[in-house]
Amino acid sequence: MTRLLVIEDNERLAMLIADGLGSRGYRSDIARCLADADIALTVATFDAIVLDLGLPDGDGLHWLRARQLSGEPPALILTARGGLEDRVNGLDAGADDYLVKPFSIEELAARLRALLRRPGRRAEPVLKVGSIRYDTASRTASAIDRPLDLARREADLLELLLRRAGQVVRRQTIEEALYCFDEAVTPNALEAIVSRLRRKLDEGGADNQLHTVRGVGYLLRDGGTD
Amino acid sequence: MTQPNSILGRLTRSLTIVAVVGALLLLLFIGIEYRISFAELSDEAALRIVIHELTEHVIIPMLLLAIPMAVVGRWAIRRAVEPLGRAAQKIDAAGGEARGVRIESESLPLETQPFARAVNALLTRVDDAAALHEAFAADIAHELRTPLTLLSLELDRLEGAQAAQLRLDVAAMRRLIDQLMLLAQIDAEQAAHLPPAPVDLIEVAGDVVAQLAPAALANGQTIELCGEGQNVILGRRETVAAALRNLIENALRVTQQGVPVVVRADEPGELAVRDGGDGLSPERLDVLVQRLRRADHASTSGAGLGLAIVARIMAAHGGRLITDPDQRELRLIFPST
Repeated sequence: MTRLLVIEDNERLAMLIADGLGSRGYRSDIARCLADADIALTVATFDAIVLDLGLPDGDGLHWLRARQLSGEPPALILTARGGLEDRVNGLDAGADDYLVKPFSIEELAARLRALLRRPGRRAEPVLKVGSIRYDTASRTASAIDRPLDLARREADLLELLLRRAGQVVRRQTIEEALYCFDEAVTPNALEAIVSRLRRKLDEGGADNQLHTVRGVGYLLRDGGTD
Repeated sequence: MTQPNSILGRLTRSLTIVAVVGALLLLLFIGIEYRISFAELSDEAALRIVIHELTEHVIIPMLLLAIPMAVVGRWAIRRAVEPLGRAAQKIDAAGGEARGVRIESESLPLETQPFARAVNALLTRVDDAAALHEAFAADIAHELRTPLTLLSLELDRLEGAQAAQLRLDVAAMRRLIDQLMLLAQIDAEQAAHLPPAPVDLIEVAGDVVAQLAPAALANGQTIELCGEGQNVILGRRETVAAALRNLIENALRVTQQGVPVVVRADEPGELAVRDGGDGLSPERLDVLVQRLRRADHASTSGAGLGLAIVARIMAAHGGRLITDPDQRELRLIFPST
């Protein structure tokens, strides 16, 4: 079971978050202040941190900036400040994602799923979105439990899209990840890889999961809410 | 005195008085100097000499002095009050919403500077009052976020059609709060006099589309972006993105499933959003844009303050929000750099 540390001083809010995430397969410990959080982090290991910024004993961003040097669990910030500057500051301070209040439990759960799929840290070796599974260790993929035969770049692309499932991955980001900087990328090369991957996913039964956002990039999503 | 006092009128009157008094004094002086007595005035030859003397020594010098003085005086006064006219134009042009308008008192004549300083002090007080007012709105918006989060999370525990409707209501409130905070931000940026920075419209549009596309897809809608390479303007990235986000969200609301919402960034200095609605007439756009000024916050369409805020962002950039009903497009036009 995924274990979370929820750092939130509003008792009811903390309870509602823990409760809502509990029914989605997360176990949450609640810290009411940064001092409690420090203690919790020394006595237990967590898969991710949910951090409210306005806390009684200090600013969450400063705390995060001070802690993030060592291998900490990924952090998601809950902020009441909507401005983009605050979000940028949050991400600079070492947060992995942010969510602006008010939010729904579904949004929070989706962000946490995306956070835990990211490479490095404590990410799970097997990525799952809808009926697609991808084992990052053996680099093998399957759709509805049938193995998919993917070329190297198709597998790279699938892993990238799976790690950011539910989000649009920009073309440029994909090209940078798939090709070395000295490789010449023809404009249609990426389209060709995407269409081959899409055909294989469709044939495997994972249809309507890979979407094109024309002019921007690509997006892999679960048929449902993710 | 009911008529407003004109400086030029006063100058003319003063010069006339000076000329008349001067002429009389000269006349007197010449009379004494030449010992002209009134008796001589009956002698025709003597009178001619007197008239000649008077013309040469009184009338011509007086005219030579008075006319250039009047002309130069008028010119000097015109020039001196010209900066006042420019300052007045500047204040008028700033309109109702602009902040940080001040008269440059250094360019004004010394005599009018106390007045200019008083006007500037007044403008500062007006700005402060407006800033306070908006900071208050932003504070309230901020404070509402936590109770609204609680409400939203409680609603997540409920099921059924009523809960779904309440969730939509919470979403509408959230939009309103976001818009209030955005307004506060536009004003803060304007007050801070940040220099505009290069903003690539294609890059911004890509970001905004990437943000909005997942939710649109979940709703069976698609967003497309046209434009390649770079399309750079001078502005503030964050508020440009907010303006575009507002337009796309509006477009998604009026577009049915299966019809793409198209964002165009392919014209220099321009962003356009094409929707599947009926097209917005310029008159209707005007009404929607005016909402902010009339404090008419009631919303039935869910558009809220969106277009009014977009128009304000464009005004802050020296640009415009226009509609093209035939193309079913709303366009953001930025000034050319």
